[in-house]
Amino acid sequence: MKWASACAIALMLHACGDGAAPEEGTSAADSLNVPTDKREAGVMNVGGKLFSIPSPMETALLIRKLGLPYSKELPLPNEDASRFVSLSQRALALGVYGADLGYVTIHHDGQQAMRTLQTVERLSAGLELTNAFDQHLVERFKKSLSSEDSLLRLTGSAFRSAQEYLKRNARDNVSTWVLAGGWVESMYLTMAQAGDEPAEGLAQRIGEQRRTLRDLILLLEASDEDGTSAPLIAKLKDLQTDYAHVSTTYTFQAPTVDAASKTTYINSSSSVTIPAETVKAIHEKVKAIRSSIIA
Amino acid sequence: MRRILNALALLATSLFATDASAQCDTIASICEKHIAAAYIPDGQFYRALLREDEVAEFELTLFGGTTYRVAGCSGLSDGNLVFSVLDKDRNVLFTNKDHNNDPFWDLVVAHTLDVTIEASLDPSKLGSGCAVMLVGFKK
Repeated sequence: MKWASACAIALMLHACGDGAAPEEGTSAADSLNVPTDKREAGVMNVGGKLFSIPSPMETALLIRKLGLPYSKELPLPNEDASRFVSLSQRALALGVYGADLGYVTIHHDGQQAMRTLQTVERLSAGLELTNAFDQHLVERFKKSLSSEDSLLRLTGSAFRSAQEYLKRNARDNVSTWVLAGGWVESMYLTMAQAGDEPAEGLAQRIGEQRRTLRDLILLLEASDEDGTSAPLIAKLKDLQTDYAHVSTTYTFQAPTVDAASKTTYINSSSSVTIPAETVKAIHEKVKAIRSSIIA
Repeated sequence: MRRILNALALLATSLFATDASAQCDTIASICEKHIAAAYIPDGQFYRALLREDEVAEFELTLFGGTTYRVAGCSGLSDGNLVFSVLDKDRNVLFTNKDHNNDPFWDLVVAHTLDVTIEASLDPSKLGSGCAVMLVGFKK
């Protein structure tokens, strides 16, 4: 009887949420009763904030825009994937291969893109992410080989599904490793193409990664429950010391709104200054971090 | 009895979390429709569980030469989430409050800038809920 009463109370609690009635005018159908402890529901935040790490697909598009040549040797060979056995290795490698997928896609290397996608599929299976990267995706990918934008969209959607699944299941560490692997590989691909004296637009983009690097470190620290990420965090913090030499300016200008097309033009201006020796130092450290990830 | 109550409290908490997660997934599916085919998803999924006047913040860098589509949703219909894009000096670059809580908007970015997106529930429509923000981009 006590069990029955207790169960009834628990179920009532579940059904009723926190008991707070919606305010007048609130749609009951739309109102969700949720716990106040955001962490319990698998929401990854640091100090109450969420952070975005730029998509490797975005970097791939920049490489395309700058017209940098294709170097088939740069992406991580697909055969290397079998040596990643631990959870962190696999998750970091998934991010690396995701960035490689964007890179080979924008260079119209369809065969390499298919092979990389199959590697991504195998790695994701090892991470129990088959909901995002499955045979269905591979088939859709095959059908879209002639359209690189479609391939980038498919890849972006699949990585979003994976992130959604990981957050739903409170696997913040895996989620962050995937982001970290993708970011490091994107930096590696960009800088390897550009050399130590990159074009102005590219040098600026390298300098613009300062906040991303800070955010990545914060995310890794917040999700690192057992110290697995400590070596990577240390290396990223070392990289951060070089970013201290990057200076930026920002001037606010009022945006322009075109309500008919639901578009706002953000007119504020900014600039980044990054000394040549800093570019070189960042390049060397990114290569070293990438080597440690794929070792 | 105490053990039973503890177990039930744990069960209730777990059920809450499961509910919230499932609701976030449903809202994300609805919200994804606002990221049109012309936009490449950024590969990430931003969500926060909000009550009353709580505000979720997320930080991102918008890169120059890119058009971003930002979509924000909560509940099962459009217009429940208020979101604003602020620069590093807290100047408001965009707020959907000026556009009837429109669930999506395009931002054409000339020069790279670090922004904060603040999202909160429209108190006249929702008392609590999962806020989902999605971002897509095109060159």
